[in-house]
Amino acid sequence: MDIFLQSLVSGLLIGGLYAIIGIGMTLIMGVLKIINLAHGQILMVAMYITWVLWNFLGIDPYLSIFITIPLVFVFAEGLSKYLLHPLIEKDSILPENQVLMTVGIGMVLVELARSIFTSDYRSIQTSYTEKSLYIGKISLSFPLVIAFIIAIFLTIGLFYLLSKTDLGRSIRATSQDKFSATLMGISAGKITILTYGLGSALDAAAGSLLLPVYYLYPDVGPLFTVKAFVITILGGLGSTVGAIAGGLVLGIAETFGATYISSGYRDATGLVIFLIVLVFFPGGLKRFTKV
Amino acid sequence: MKVFKVFSLLLITVGLLISFNSCGQSETGPIEIGVLLPLTGSQANFGEMEKNSFELAKEEINKAGGINGRKLEFVYEDDSGKPDVGRAGAEKLISINKVQLLAGGYSYSVTFAAAAVAQQNRIPFLVNTGSVDKITQPEDFNLTTEDGDKFYIYRLNPPVSEYASGLEGMLSEVIKPSTVYIIHENTTFGTKGAKAFTKTCDKLGLKVLGTDSYSSGTVDFKPLLLNAKKTNPDIVYMISYVMDAALLMKQSRDLKFYPKMFIGAGAGFTMPAFKENAGKASEKVVSATLWHQTLPIPGATKYFDDYVAKFGGDGPDYHGAEAYASAYVIKDVLERCNGKYDSETIKKSLDKTDIMTAFGPVKFQSYGKKIHQNKMNTYVVQWIDVNLKLIWPRDLANAEIHYPIDWAKVWAE
Repeated sequence: MDIFLQSLVSGLLIGGLYAIIGIGMTLIMGVLKIINLAHGQILMVAMYITWVLWNFLGIDPYLSIFITIPLVFVFAEGLSKYLLHPLIEKDSILPENQVLMTVGIGMVLVELARSIFTSDYRSIQTSYTEKSLYIGKISLSFPLVIAFIIAIFLTIGLFYLLSKTDLGRSIRATSQDKFSATLMGISAGKITILTYGLGSALDAAAGSLLLPVYYLYPDVGPLFTVKAFVITILGGLGSTVGAIAGGLVLGIAETFGATYISSGYRDATGLVIFLIVLVFFPGGLKRFTKV
Repeated sequence: MKVFKVFSLLLITVGLLISFNSCGQSETGPIEIGVLLPLTGSQANFGEMEKNSFELAKEEINKAGGINGRKLEFVYEDDSGKPDVGRAGAEKLISINKVQLLAGGYSYSVTFAAAAVAQQNRIPFLVNTGSVDKITQPEDFNLTTEDGDKFYIYRLNPPVSEYASGLEGMLSEVIKPSTVYIIHENTTFGTKGAKAFTKTCDKLGLKVLGTDSYSSGTVDFKPLLLNAKKTNPDIVYMISYVMDAALLMKQSRDLKFYPKMFIGAGAGFTMPAFKENAGKASEKVVSATLWHQTLPIPGATKYFDDYVAKFGGDGPDYHGAEAYASAYVIKDVLERCNGKYDSETIKKSLDKTDIMTAFGPVKFQSYGKKIHQNKMNTYVVQWIDVNLKLIWPRDLANAEIHYPIDWAKVWAE
């Protein structure tokens, strides 16, 4: 029973982090209609910013969210405005070209990181990174618990933004029907650019939260690009609530797979669920949420 | 007609260029040796360490007069840790750079793929890190152990099945465990290492309670560790690269998993990055290793100090030493070629190698299914008060084994 509970709790905590990575990708997929294959690499950039702030200025990784998010937001805005957006405006170019562009951006980011920081592994050691909380026999990694709580707050904030503000309504309108949104006076182009920034900013937050429990090197990104992709499909393309469910399901499925089948099949478990969802619920988990 | 003339002129020029190229390396310029390493990708960290070590050795060799008056030059090709890229890299080095000897070879899968290319082109390949057993087994290249003169692969490092041979003595004389749990990454390196250690356990009469694998890059090892903890093993044996190793130890500490001893199979456990990232959880962890700078091998300490002086950081581990030693083996081999630096002469010279390097003695031998394999001892080290100390074999050790270990106290906040 202890093992069952421990797996469930570990899975939930990891799932919370997966969820915000997934939400970022989902937002971008919803509005830009592309798979952002540079998602993990942007996460890597955020992790490096967090690491630099901690290593050279001694800023706590969780506080650094307030710096990482705006920095990555502006950076992603730039990418979107000058690299991705020009490709939409050319009629002759297929949307696939934007996906290819994200692949290119990802590669450049990795090699830039390598030339600046070398390939050495980095990680953060703070007074609390090695702490654990114990409930009965279940151990909870302290940094993961904090990350989970912050992830919840970020998600609530995002929902407020999407459902209660003009900006959020514009984003949702653009993602539902770009043409009609434009007719209603929404500047779809601006919203598109902004959404890429917003999605990346969430990704950045995930990066800052992940660093205290994980580690960092230039090639860390692709691993999380794949996870984000799986979560987005699990959740149903473009559905934010679906992405949260997708993240949690992936986290828990991986952990149970690791406990009861074999850790070696951790990724396989996630992908099997992914296939099952694709075959039996092509719309993803959003069918059950209706949001 | 004019078009035809221009075209034929072009053809002739191209033809001339190709024929110039195929003349091979010049007679007086530097001698070029191809080196295949992962300089990008997730293994780039080790690739850089090996490249630095090759460069360090090259500078020393050239400063001391080079090879019979000619300079030694390494041509690096990045394999990015992928077998297909490594294969293409080896082909490029052989057909475009016209190198007559290949060196390097970090990851086992890339090395094996590149070895096939070298074998096909009859270019000797001196492997210094790729550790999967089949690399020096001629039967995996459709040859027999009698075909030494047709087999072009040589290996300086021991194969993965022998990584833990140094542990046997320590286990049977000091720790005397009765049960073991094996954790390994789900790659050829990990799986073969686990199999080899299971055999060692059978020999020592140890009961293997379970074997579990994981894929590299896992964030959460707790399910795996819980399964291990449930069986209550005397020792836990782990085959992991550096960051997985650090997370495994950190999370073992979280879970209050206290076996008699944690033993790593070399790879990540001896790297400075392991200590930095695992923090307190690295303390008292034991690991097999192929090399340590404090070993009584002439040149080992000097190499370590020179490396730190030149490149900074925490200094190299055995991977760097392997590369450094490989460069000196190459120097020795080329010097015995009597000025003829073609692949066949180099191969004959490799066969007769018998020198001492900063990594230990190098002599290519045949035993079991292997030929052209350097046979060597392995050692055991332990992290004691944040320093890596040599604890076995006892006559070479520079520290006492810390055992038994009170983990609750060692790992206290």
